Amino acid sequence: MTLYVKQDSPIHEIDPITKVIYALVAALLPYILPSHTVALTVLVISIMLLVVGKVFRKIIPLIGLSLFLIVSLVIIQGIFRPDNVTPLFQFGPIIFYKEGLSYGLLLMLRVINLLCAFGVLILTTKPDDLIQSFIQKGMSPRIGYVIGSVLQLIPQMSATIATIKDAQRSRGLETEGSLLVRVKAFLPLIGPVIMNSLISTRERSIALEVRGFNTKQKKTFLHEVHTYKYAKVIQAVLILIFIFAILWRIFL
Amino acid sequence: MNEIKVENISFSYTDGQPVLSNIDVHFRQESTAIIGQNGAGKTTFVKLLKGLLKPATGNIYVNGMNTKEHTVAQLAKQIGLVFQNPNDQIFKHTVIEEVMFGPKNIGQSTEEARQNSLLALEKMGIVHEADKNPYDLSLSDRKLVSIASILAMKPPIIIFDEPTMGQDYLGKERLKKIMKDLREEGVLVLSIIHDMDFVAETFERTIVMNQGQIVLDGPTREVFSHEQLIRDVYLELPHATQLGKQLGLKQTFLTVDELINFNRKKQG
Amino acid sequence: MKKIIVENLKYKYPETDQLALNDVSFEVEEGEVIGIVGQNSAGKSSLCLALTGLIPHFFNGAYGGKVLIEGIEVKTSTITDLSQKAGLVFDNPFTQMTASKYTVYDEIAFGLENMGVSREDMIERVDWSLKMMGIENIKDKNPFDLSGGQMQRVAIASVIAMRPGILVLDEPTSQLDPQASEEVFRVIQQLSQEGITIVIAEHKMEKLSSFADRILLLYEGKQIDFDTPQKVFSRDDLHNYGVVPPIFTTYCKAMGMKNKKTNTYPVTLAQVSSLLGGENNE
Repeated sequence: MTLYVKQDSPIHEIDPITKVIYALVAALLPYILPSHTVALTVLVISIMLLVVGKVFRKIIPLIGLSLFLIVSLVIIQGIFRPDNVTPLFQFGPIIFYKEGLSYGLLLMLRVINLLCAFGVLILTTKPDDLIQSFIQKGMSPRIGYVIGSVLQLIPQMSATIATIKDAQRSRGLETEGSLLVRVKAFLPLIGPVIMNSLISTRERSIALEVRGFNTKQKKTFLHEVHTYKYAKVIQAVLILIFIFAILWRIFL
Repeated sequence: MNEIKVENISFSYTDGQPVLSNIDVHFRQESTAIIGQNGAGKTTFVKLLKGLLKPATGNIYVNGMNTKEHTVAQLAKQIGLVFQNPNDQIFKHTVIEEVMFGPKNIGQSTEEARQNSLLALEKMGIVHEADKNPYDLSLSDRKLVSIASILAMKPPIIIFDEPTMGQDYLGKERLKKIMKDLREEGVLVLSIIHDMDFVAETFERTIVMNQGQIVLDGPTREVFSHEQLIRDVYLELPHATQLGKQLGLKQTFLTVDELINFNRKKQG
Repeated sequence: MKKIIVENLKYKYPETDQLALNDVSFEVEEGEVIGIVGQNSAGKSSLCLALTGLIPHFFNGAYGGKVLIEGIEVKTSTITDLSQKAGLVFDNPFTQMTASKYTVYDEIAFGLENMGVSREDMIERVDWSLKMMGIENIKDKNPFDLSGGQMQRVAIASVIAMRPGILVLDEPTSQLDPQASEEVFRVIQQLSQEGITIVIAEHKMEKLSSFADRILLLYEGKQIDFDTPQKVFSRDDLHNYGVVPPIFTTYCKAMGMKNKKTNTYPVTLAQVSSLLGGENNE
């Protein structure tokens, strides 16, 4: 279960750390500088990166999922924002104000921008490459392992959960229906899930031990995470933009 | 008499990839083993019998109840399924409470449930562990707890999923006795199982599944006489059967005792 | 030098009263295949853990006696150092997959990365492991998309990639179907032919007898016997220890078919044939 999409694109060539910095800067910029222009510009850049990375199609369902949240943000701001003064249009008794809608639009741009900025990172970077980059920069390999394994174990758990549900239903436990029924079903379902996880984790930690997991030795890596030649330049530019934005916000 | 009627069922998890096709079989009183490699469809088949899955076409009648028309919990009174991994069901703090869970769900009073549970634990040889935490027991004893938890529900039909996995000789002997006792009490016993020796020693009827179809169905002795077919579906003959063949004997032997008695009669 | 030396090994898990291992002593030569048999809780798993250092280093508890792996004492070594001498494979294929890798190839390299092995060596060792286990065709698959038997072979491959001279297996086929079990037994025999010393705890007596050099019989943590399969399974008192010999042996015992030269009963089908063949030739 990863969102990574294997493609042959320049964005895929860029090293993970650079993309992480891009994602953070791009996501935060519209918050530091609350302007529609800034938000829109960054959003367009992220979308262009997604298109170049041939992964744009994948971000659409993600945006679709949060569409409900986004649209309701706009509507609520449009109607209820405290400093609403100028009415723009009306649906029956409900009045939509210009200030609120404008602010709502900014919020919407920020959310979509956040999704796209992180989309650039997540859709074009292999999880184990990302984790390896962090480890090479000094993160503990053990933490790296935990993050990496959780990404695969959680989907695996859904199979176990289904089996547990089957086993308990087979013993006469009803799991669908009224709230009371569902509350009663909670413990018989969650109990084995937790125990199974604990037991698997224990067994897995034995397997890890005998494969040198707790060694003090310095790790080597089978795959080289390629360093992009312009990595340093891009990272420097991004960080400068970030600092500049903060200064702008503070002094202007 | 307990029976399961399977009428021309098919099933697939995803469209276009049938896991089971046109299965037609009638289970009645005889204890039956279901054998076949992993992926043959055994687990899916058993889930359909239990009502956990509903057939895409055809019908399954468990003691007259159509599985398509009842929930799993409703069918639980008629048919019990012992799952492979006891850790997938145990959640109570004591063995006795764990075993009582199923009986209480299907409507037994607390007192009835307790009586049936203690009886079931006795049959499994672990009644002395009744007040212990199930997770303080070994995995093989926990498996016995999970079997007891279904026995206590007193279903007239019981299906076992790999009951002998991880069991040692004594554990298997105990299981054999329990299955034979159940059979004598009129319970219809079915089991998915990989241990061919156990199959030969315990089950009257054997069904061989391969790629979603039933390829052999009959008395166990007859099934194991089809040596080539058994090998073709990547199964092995029971060791006693192999020995009988090695000794040049024409009959299909199921247990080493049979072989010994046969040859002793020949000698003496 | 003896590959494995176990001297008066005693062990008790924390917060338990009984000894899991009670005065076990035996020696294993390089290249031997040793089968460990006994009923559940006889101490088979505990012994496997003791041979690889998990007892005492992972499980703590009360430890007595000595275990020497290629001359190195387990008590004063570390699990990591020992894992390069004795690898451990156990019964659940699923929990032996690290879950942090997306291909079988990377999964096998996991231990080597931890050990700081150079990239060239890593590639060479992983390729060798894949070949040994006959799993080159699945090297790019996700470990969780494999069957139980394939997963178990990946687990073994991951362990032998660290090039231990000894492989310890604790009921490696108990969760596998007959065909997958066959595959695993086959690769174990192949590894033995490569010179790797094998210690395997098993319940499948017929299978074990066909390739074990010696059998260690345990009961309640105590060592009852350590001898060839023929000698151990010819005993009259196996029933007292919750163990049954291979069916072939049971038959021969009942029919009085003994190998007069060794004074033991056959333990495999092949041995039954040759005994009969020998008799027919007389």
